[in-house]
Amino acid sequence: MNPLLPFLMAGDPSLEALPVQLSEARSLGIEALELGLPHSDPIADGPVLQAAAHRAIGRGATPVRVLQTLAGLKDSPDLILFTYLNPLLQIGAERLKTLLAPTPVKALLVVDLPFGEEPAFEADLRAAGYPMVPLLAPTTTLDRARQVLAERPDPGPAAPFAQRFAYVVARLGVTGTAQSTDLAPVRERVTQLRDISSRPLAVGFGLSDAASLAAVRAMGATPVVGSALVRELAEGKSMAACLSPLMDGDL
Amino acid sequence: MTDAFALPTRFGAESLGGCYAPETLMQPLLDLEAAFRSALADPAFQAELKAELRHFVGRPTPLTAAPRLAAELGFKALYLKREDLTHTGAHKINNALAQALLARRMGKTEIIAETGAGQHGVATAAACARLGLACTVYMGVTDMARQAPNVARMRLFGTKVVPVEAGQGTLKEAVNEALRAWAGRCDHAHYILGSALGPHPFPTLVRTFQTVIGEEARAQVLEQAGALPEAVIACAGGGSNGLGLLVPFLGDPLRRLAVEAGGHGRALGEHAARLDGGRAGVLHGCKTLLLQDEHGHTAETASISAGLDYPALGPELAALALDGKLEVRRASDDEALAGARLLCEREGILPALESSHALAALPALAAEGAATVLLGLSGRGDKDLSTYQSRMEI
Repeated sequence: MNPLLPFLMAGDPSLEALPVQLSEARSLGIEALELGLPHSDPIADGPVLQAAAHRAIGRGATPVRVLQTLAGLKDSPDLILFTYLNPLLQIGAERLKTLLAPTPVKALLVVDLPFGEEPAFEADLRAAGYPMVPLLAPTTTLDRARQVLAERPDPGPAAPFAQRFAYVVARLGVTGTAQSTDLAPVRERVTQLRDISSRPLAVGFGLSDAASLAAVRAMGATPVVGSALVRELAEGKSMAACLSPLMDGDL
Repeated sequence: MTDAFALPTRFGAESLGGCYAPETLMQPLLDLEAAFRSALADPAFQAELKAELRHFVGRPTPLTAAPRLAAELGFKALYLKREDLTHTGAHKINNALAQALLARRMGKTEIIAETGAGQHGVATAAACARLGLACTVYMGVTDMARQAPNVARMRLFGTKVVPVEAGQGTLKEAVNEALRAWAGRCDHAHYILGSALGPHPFPTLVRTFQTVIGEEARAQVLEQAGALPEAVIACAGGGSNGLGLLVPFLGDPLRRLAVEAGGHGRALGEHAARLDGGRAGVLHGCKTLLLQDEHGHTAETASISAGLDYPALGPELAALALDGKLEVRRASDDEALAGARLLCEREGILPALESSHALAALPALAAEGAATVLLGLSGRGDKDLSTYQSRMEI
């Protein structure tokens, strides 16, 4: 099982640092990593990721420059590009595919794109090897979860984790660390999902401490750590210093 | 539980609108559409809404002939649809009250809203006080400063006003924060969006609750003038007032105009005129004409009017404009101030800065030969007194 899915905001602290950040993550055994594309209006993000996105934009981390920075990187985990739809729409599917081709990006997590809203765009990218990660929220009914998982299907066990996993949102709200997240509902949700799907599951939103990470691993799911990591990296800590303690625990 | 939308989610040839929402909000939006359809089909809901609009809001609002202003501008006749005379002073109450009734029917206990000029916030705060619902309004810090009287009014009605400091501190940031708050509290809270914007079903819901403006105006002008006017005109921020007035006239042989905020210049960042500066993009849950930079980041906007200072045009209004069913104009800050002054001096009515943008387009309409015009006076200008005082040196 993949023990950790970290999240980084591209361009924070700088785009120049990104290749080294990714290489360090890989050497620490990170298989897949969510890379945030900084957006002006991140409606699903809490204060930490909003601030990181605005810092990154202020330092010139435009969508195209981020993708150009990733071009040719071999020493990187598989990347899941975490983004809002509009920057991708403005780039357009054709140019986007060209920009993605030389990068380690394996899948897209588009926060504000439910299935069915841009069917041609989504099918085009999936056919090119960039499937959309299915998201399941606490409000997603089990019937709708079946629908989401069918619309964004598992490419099968031969495909990498980045292209297979479903993202289970642990609680209501936006990204960011919570005072305390009651993990009982998401444990029940993971159990339900196991009955309808054999794909790997990642659980995120509000996880930061070792206990909650261990609890998610005990469910047989991969914990996502975003805001807590972004905050520590912004304080100048190294990738190894941030990630090593998170990798420990019940592997 | 509903698993698909039943109403059309898209508008026009460009297929604007849609439901570009985070997954957490999808089921709440599906449930909202189902509740909306059920309420519209329920005579008891319709009767309660009608009674509240009459006895609490003060509908129907008058249609006032403005003969001195008409003579000044060279029109044969000019009529003003007086949404400024509603309780709380703007058309926003029509939608806020209807959605608050809908929320109560859905068993929601808290209301979340965004506000720019504060008119939607005040209307929502009033509706919540009347219906016994807790209310939290998100408002940009720039707007809180320039619309201070409305902040005080909301607080008097028992509403919690949360300052939003991000970005320019205007309506866009307030909507961002309201959407985030709703994602955290959607199990018990309803989000009352005030413009014909956002993910489906909001644009349709808001338009449905605002077309009472145009329906009344159309019947009133036929009664008073015996004929339809040659042109109907309204200001347009998100589009709730524009659609509310113009949609009931869509089948009529007349000109329909919406006026956007021209701000203080033509460059990106100096205005909020989406039709000739924007291109299709997705913001706040819908695809529409959007002021944005080359990277797909939302552009900054500028307008003297907080209610029009927003980078996206409502998707239905944008679709109607692109499909040639209405004309879109822009009026600058200075033109809006001149329009406000003229209405004050000739008719003794103080318009909101938003409504003043529609007034500002009248001279051009007269020059083009229009003889009879109906104008939507969306709100009153008390909230804008400090801006009028400083900009007009009175």
